[in-house]
Amino acid sequence: MGELARYLVLAALLFGIGLAGVLTRRNAIVVLIGIELMLNAANLNFIAFWRHGPHPEALTGVMFVLFAIAIAAAEAAVGLALVIAVYRHYRTTNLDQIEEMKG
Amino acid sequence: MDSQLSQYLPVLMLAAVAVAATAGMMILSMMLGKLGRRSKAKDTAYECGMIPVGNPTPRLSMRFYLVAMLFILFDIEVIFLYPWAVVYRRFLEHPAMANPILFSMVSFLGVLLVGYLYALKKRAFEWRN
Amino acid sequence: MTGVGYSDLLAALAPETALVLAAVAVLFVDMGLMRSAPLRQRFLTACAVAGLGCLVTLGILASSGAHLRFLDGVLVVDSLTQWVKVFLVVLTLFTAGISAQAEFTEHVGEYFALVLLATVGMMFLVSTEEILMIFVSLELTSLSLYVLAALDKRTRHASEAALKYFLFGSVAAAFTLFGLSLVYGLSGATNLTGIAAGLRAHRSDPLLAVAVVMVIMGFGFKVAVVPFHLWAPDAYEGAPVPAAALIASGSKVASFFVLAKIAVLGFAGVEGSGAWGQLRAGWLPVLAVLAVGSMVLGNLTAIAQGHLRRLLAYSAIAHAGYVLLGLMAMGYPSQRSAALAAVLYYVATYGLTTVGAFGVASVIERVLGNGRIDALAGLSRRSPLLALCLMVFLLSLAGIPPLAGFFGKFGLFTAAMGADPAGLGLLWLVGIAIAMSTVSLYYYLRVLKQAYVVAGDEEASRIVVPWTDRLVLIAAAVGVFLLGALPELLLGPLARAIAGGNGF
Repeated sequence: MGELARYLVLAALLFGIGLAGVLTRRNAIVVLIGIELMLNAANLNFIAFWRHGPHPEALTGVMFVLFAIAIAAAEAAVGLALVIAVYRHYRTTNLDQIEEMKG
Repeated sequence: MDSQLSQYLPVLMLAAVAVAATAGMMILSMMLGKLGRRSKAKDTAYECGMIPVGNPTPRLSMRFYLVAMLFILFDIEVIFLYPWAVVYRRFLEHPAMANPILFSMVSFLGVLLVGYLYALKKRAFEWRN
Repeated sequence: MTGVGYSDLLAALAPETALVLAAVAVLFVDMGLMRSAPLRQRFLTACAVAGLGCLVTLGILASSGAHLRFLDGVLVVDSLTQWVKVFLVVLTLFTAGISAQAEFTEHVGEYFALVLLATVGMMFLVSTEEILMIFVSLELTSLSLYVLAALDKRTRHASEAALKYFLFGSVAAAFTLFGLSLVYGLSGATNLTGIAAGLRAHRSDPLLAVAVVMVIMGFGFKVAVVPFHLWAPDAYEGAPVPAAALIASGSKVASFFVLAKIAVLGFAGVEGSGAWGQLRAGWLPVLAVLAVGSMVLGNLTAIAQGHLRRLLAYSAIAHAGYVLLGLMAMGYPSQRSAALAAVLYYVATYGLTTVGAFGVASVIERVLGNGRIDALAGLSRRSPLLALCLMVFLLSLAGIPPLAGFFGKFGLFTAAMGADPAGLGLLWLVGIAIAMSTVSLYYYLRVLKQAYVVAGDEEASRIVVPWTDRLVLIAAAVGVFLLGALPELLLGPLARAIAGGNGF
């Protein structure tokens, strides 16, 4: 396996672990952590492709990752705020108990 | 048609690997976790031999989370400042680029400043109500 | 730098700048001047400031003939993107209009500022052909909309809806980012034309299939197509009505436009085929599957809904399926510009209709305190205006001539039928779409029957519609009627803008 392929497999695993966390865990905070893992898996991809790509002197991959990190931080802040808002009403962060609308 | 659609095989494989890896980890942790014998003494926090007192997760004021979130948001902007600072001197060598690069960062900081003023006016930084 | 100075850039970005300034203004006006004013007055003032900002932006859009292509597509401004921005700002203006009488939150300035910032995100989304900018502006839009959905702190449903919307949306964003990272890796480029050139060498690379599926999945969440639609009914029902209107209209317009750009420009050469009996891997068959699922499931589930906004959500899912037909037609070069015009006409009129329908829902929910369809009984007597507007909007959604919805569907279906003249092509999809449209007529008529035929409480008083809502509703209804009767009003300029553009 080449070096690039190793990074890609690691990133795919990281993405899979994050996705599994999102799908199986019921705590909203843990789901948030899963989402962050998925975003970081994508970041790892960008860095690996940039480093082993044909034009490492063009900093596109790195730039993408910088923006993605900032966006992930903003997303975490909004997510935590929403979890707090939900907690105020439902007194829980368990997603199975935050399930009133149906249809 | 089958051979064409088989190009989607990698998608399935990725999904299968993801499911297998996580399921494996969860099953392993369940199996290994049962190996050691548990007792109440083992489950309590180790506090240098002292018996722990009080709730280990005290409830924090909502202000704490607010300040923490603001910290994350303003802290992360460093990742834009840092690369800018690294290339700044090199840009100064080209007279045509000196103004644009300064202007870009000043406008970025200006936007941040508006956000900061907003947080300040909303009294998000005041610890006591 | 390709000879584009800061002044050119500022001129091209003047509409966005105006909206951002309006957002800051509304924030500080509300916080500084109106702090001790009663809530109603704060909403009216903030709405006036935001509306003024939208009008100024519309003026700039109408008067500037800016044409710009900055850094290989990081920023693309031409008459087509200007037109889509006009749609977006008009929808935002209407959204602000139906919020004027609202009282769901104390955070009035923040509410209007977020509405405007979400619109800025959408405007950047339509005027870029570079995946980094697409991702950043997509997130600007989404993050604003998540917070908007949660702003009604009085009800628990709003926070529940917002959390669900956020969780689904962020997972979608993660999928999009991962897919984009693979696209970047395979093509080595970040602008859509470069990506298309780079992907040509990797047409049979297995990673490409993963990348295409993931990117389309991510945008599938945004436009709410089956099976990525689960957030939509909850968000539409739980969020404050005007916020839901923006989620349902403006963000749909922008997302469909950018999805079309990514598919047609970025994935050029990997279309595959979605024609019956000759499926070939590519983005067309993926869209075909999503379209069938959305049209069938959306329409069938809508029948069982008892809440007006939930019904609109499922109908939105079905409509997303119809629009996907148009996107698929764009995969065939002969049909591209006709299909693009049809798609844009459809999403623009659909957005207008939806904002109107949500406007009716907002007045009704404010007066009656609940948005169930049963509560509409006797509406035609209590408020003929509301009942008439509701009829215009729902019949347009059902596709009854001479309303805009009919012509929109007609354009989409003819574009899809002409896509592959040699074979049966997309005819099977058009068949499903027409069959499902007739199903949709049933549940729209069920709502209208409740409003017009079922007698309500005789004692019930008349519903007074405030002048702001009246203005928006009448404008939207007249727009839906006019654009349906004279589609050339919109199709003509759109066709000219498309012909004058870069083939997109």
